[in-house]
Amino acid sequence: MRLIASLLLLAVPILGVYTFMTAADHDWWFPPAYSTFAPDIDWLFDFIMYMVAFTFIVTEVALAWFVFKYSAKRNDKGVFTHGSHKLEMIWTAIPAVALLVIAFTQMETFAKIKFASGFPTQGRFTREKPIAQVWASQFDWRTRYPGDDGVLGTVDDLEASYEFVVPVNEDIVFELRSRDVIHSWFVPEFRLKQDALPGHTIPVWFNATKEGSYDLVCAELCGWGHYKMSGRVRVVSAQEFDAYQADLKAKWFSNGKE
Amino acid sequence: MRIRPCLYALAAAALLGAGCQLDLASEPADPVVHYSLSPTTTALDEAGEPLLPLAEQDHIAGSLTMLFGTPANPRFLRTAEWVDDEFDPNWPTYAADDNGGGEFSEDELAAIKADNERDFRRELALIEAGRYEDVVLPSWMPDLRSKWAAHLASKPADARDAEFQGEAKALLVDFYPTLRDSAELYRQQCLHCHGVEGGGDGPTAPFLNPKPRDYRAGVFKFTSMKDKSTPRREDLYRILDEGVTGTAMPSFRRFSQAELHGLVDYVRLLSMRGMVERDLVNTYLNEEALSMEAVLESFSAVWDKWGKAAEKHTQFDGAVPAPSKESIERGRTLFMDAATGNCFSCHGAEGRGDGASAFTKHPETGETIPAYKDDWGNEILPRNLRQGIFRGGRRPIDIYYRIKNGINGTPMPAAVSTMSDDDIWALVHYVGSLSEAPRVRPSSHSKSNADH
Ligand code: HEC
Ligand code: HEC
Ligand SMILES: [Cu+2]
Repeated sequence: MRLIASLLLLAVPILGVYTFMTAADHDWWFPPAYSTFAPDIDWLFDFIMYMVAFTFIVTEVALAWFVFKYSAKRNDKGVFTHGSHKLEMIWTAIPAVALLVIAFTQMETFAKIKFASGFPTQGRFTREKPIAQVWASQFDWRTRYPGDDGVLGTVDDLEASYEFVVPVNEDIVFELRSRDVIHSWFVPEFRLKQDALPGHTIPVWFNATKEGSYDLVCAELCGWGHYKMSGRVRVVSAQEFDAYQADLKAKWFSNGKE
Repeated sequence: MRIRPCLYALAAAALLGAGCQLDLASEPADPVVHYSLSPTTTALDEAGEPLLPLAEQDHIAGSLTMLFGTPANPRFLRTAEWVDDEFDPNWPTYAADDNGGGEFSEDELAAIKADNERDFRRELALIEAGRYEDVVLPSWMPDLRSKWAAHLASKPADARDAEFQGEAKALLVDFYPTLRDSAELYRQQCLHCHGVEGGGDGPTAPFLNPKPRDYRAGVFKFTSMKDKSTPRREDLYRILDEGVTGTAMPSFRRFSQAELHGLVDYVRLLSMRGMVERDLVNTYLNEEALSMEAVLESFSAVWDKWGKAAEKHTQFDGAVPAPSKESIERGRTLFMDAATGNCFSCHGAEGRGDGASAFTKHPETGETIPAYKDDWGNEILPRNLRQGIFRGGRRPIDIYYRIKNGINGTPMPAAVSTMSDDDIWALVHYVGSLSEAPRVRPSSHSKSNADH
């Protein structure tokens, strides 16, 4: 009986580890990584996952061994103890060190993506001159590009609903805004997620490495229609981007005859 | 020992689950569900008697079913005249020049096909690879699904040649939803707000402001039409494509062009149904007989209204002018002039939607309440133009239509006839400038919001 019980317990970590190891074959793993910093995020994810996996396996095996060894039938008398100071020190110190290691390891990547110091300064789009403002509202996404004056927030801004079109292999800086409640701009392929807060203008940057059309989803429960708050980020070549802008402008100033 | 009963329970649960699965597979035949009559048709008078005798109500309901079908199987009646003209109101996709009946130009049809190719690229790749059985079509295409099933059944797996493959591809590339397909998509996406009959009374509606549109009056707010006319296909399509910013009505661009056009067809059917219903009630109240002729006459009158919509389109020829300091200043003058726009009386001198006529005092409590109601009986406030929210679209031409034609169903009036196009463009520029908030450029020292 105790053998069955401890084997059953062991089945949990074995199944868990097996699922992870074969996940990619079943298409259960992450979507492909298509931004310059996406591989860094994936590396950090793997790093933390291996750390956690190691701990998980060790503790689960220990647990199974304890169930086997200390079954009630064979150990009818309990032992009372006030604990071991040394042991407690160890099991506090090790996780503390582990957390510090994680904190220091991720710092550079986080700073590169989120800190002002990490934002691109060369190239067409910078914090001073973002490509667009992306507006989140219940329950859709709209993109505002600057008009001829090159300044956002003026009467000649162009607007596109649903779609956010950007050129490939170029540093993109945009500003994220919300009209109503907290939303979150999330494109899994870019490994980039940023909350949009009403009243704030939040700069965001990325550099997409592959042309294509990617799902943009809201990753912050923002109301009853949250589930359908979707959009698209379309990554195109530089020429196509210029053509898109020209087309958007022509449509914007259409006289309605289309 | 404890484990045994658990295992039995598990096995029983699994069997039960499989049973449910089987049950679902053999769907019971639905009883036929009809569209309901509108509350104004079934209303009671002061004495608590129905305004319309129940027999007449039944008669109207029956006529409407004959003309428009049922929610599960909507279709327009094809009158004898239309059969002679080879016109089928249920099928708007043939090119506009064929018999003059179709509604799409060749270019538009080509665009719909190109979009289908994108939308079905996964399915088309499966067909290309000969993996027909792996093709799964969305649940909101019941008619396409049955056509697909029939196509698969027409040839056994080992006899499927290039011709079969070509036909399979054509089914998807040439896809244009039937009214039944569109009604299913409407049921999944729109019904919870707009209701089965398009009465704007779905289960989500009580929680929304503004309320979802009631199509049954044939009144739509954001059109390019003068004289409060019914909208063009383009106007409704634009609403579905762009959504109505600042309201609960979202953009449905994630669906294909064919699907959005199909939804326009269906909204139009619901709207016509509502209009005919009103018409028939009025016919009865005018003490005329609800004969077959009267019913058909009302039907074709309503069709005519929609069919001739394009004649009421506000045409602006020439290029849209760009805003300038002078035009914005001129717009301001017009905005504040009681003789021209009189805009400030509703929208307020600063455009904040707080003009003198926007509010009134409640006759009993003395509370300040909105002075206006819209055609659907809901309180309405003039827009705060400083927020930069333009429900009918932010393009200059959209705002031009709003100011020139007014907003149907709301107190927002059409421009007085003495206003020239230049005046209206000046107002467009001024109104657009009210929400200008040129971005303050962060100096290179300022900290990012994301910094802590
Ligand atoms: C979450 C609720 C909601 C859903 C879902 C929804 N709508 Fe709406 N819809 C609205 C509201 C609210 C308005 C009114 C906006 C206004 O009055 O400014 C509206 C307005 C409209 C209008 C009228 C626009 C005009 O010019 O007057 C049409 C047409 C329309 N919806 C069609 C649809 C269709 C088709 C669908 C499904 C694909 C749909 N709606 C789904 C809430 C919704
Ligand atoms: C009788 C009151 C009234 C007057 C006068 C009036 N408006 Fe309005 N206006 C409204 C109301 C009410 C709405 C909101 C309609 C809605 O909620 O859909 C509105 C909405 C608008 C909008 C927003 C359209 C959109 O797409 O959301 C604009 C722009 C506008 N008005 C401009 C003007 C201008 C310019 C004038 C003067 C020529 C004017 N209005 C005169 C009542 C008025
Ligand atoms: Cu959201």
